Amino acid sequence: MISWESEMTKALERGEREKKPILLDFFNPG
Amino acid sequence: MGAVTYPDKKVAEFVMQGMVPLQVLADKPLAEEFKVKWTPTIVVLDCSGKEHHRTVGFFPPEEFIPNLLLGMGKVRFDADQFGDAIQHFDKLLAEYPQSGAAPEAIYLAGVSRYKSTHDAKPLKEAYEKLKAGYPQSEWTMRAQPYSLL
Repeated sequence: MISWESEMTKALERGEREKKPILLDFFNPG
Repeated sequence: MGAVTYPDKKVAEFVMQGMVPLQVLADKPLAEEFKVKWTPTIVVLDCSGKEHHRTVGFFPPEEFIPNLLLGMGKVRFDADQFGDAIQHFDKLLAEYPQSGAAPEAIYLAGVSRYKSTHDAKPLKEAYEKLKAGYPQSEWTMRAQPYSLL
């Protein structure tokens, strides 16, 4: 299961720390 | 994506191991900042927040992973990390040669090898590989001048 971040700042911090790119998904729940 | 692709075990493992997943509603200010006009829109960013790859529309699991590999390779390519970029492109081509992302990966792998070595041979090889395996691809068209090298 994918555990999503919901805040850009936190995702970028994690990306920096873990040396990983960010997968940013814009979605519409319909 | 949320009904089919993201619940897929292989997709989930790939994303959790290699990326930081961030999901945002398309009506939030961030969507305006990224000029998102339709969903699903998926963007691959580096850890400074700079965009390197974007797709719009649905991808099934077997196309989504190679698309992410392409995006991850492009993050490295744009940072002049050509060795790392080649690893991602080659993994895509080894595991998903029939993917829609494969022709662009061949093209960028050829360019990455050229930029690493300044030897034009990989560019010509990329064109020949594209012509043989993906003759209708726009990437074959883009690589056509390399046939003259």
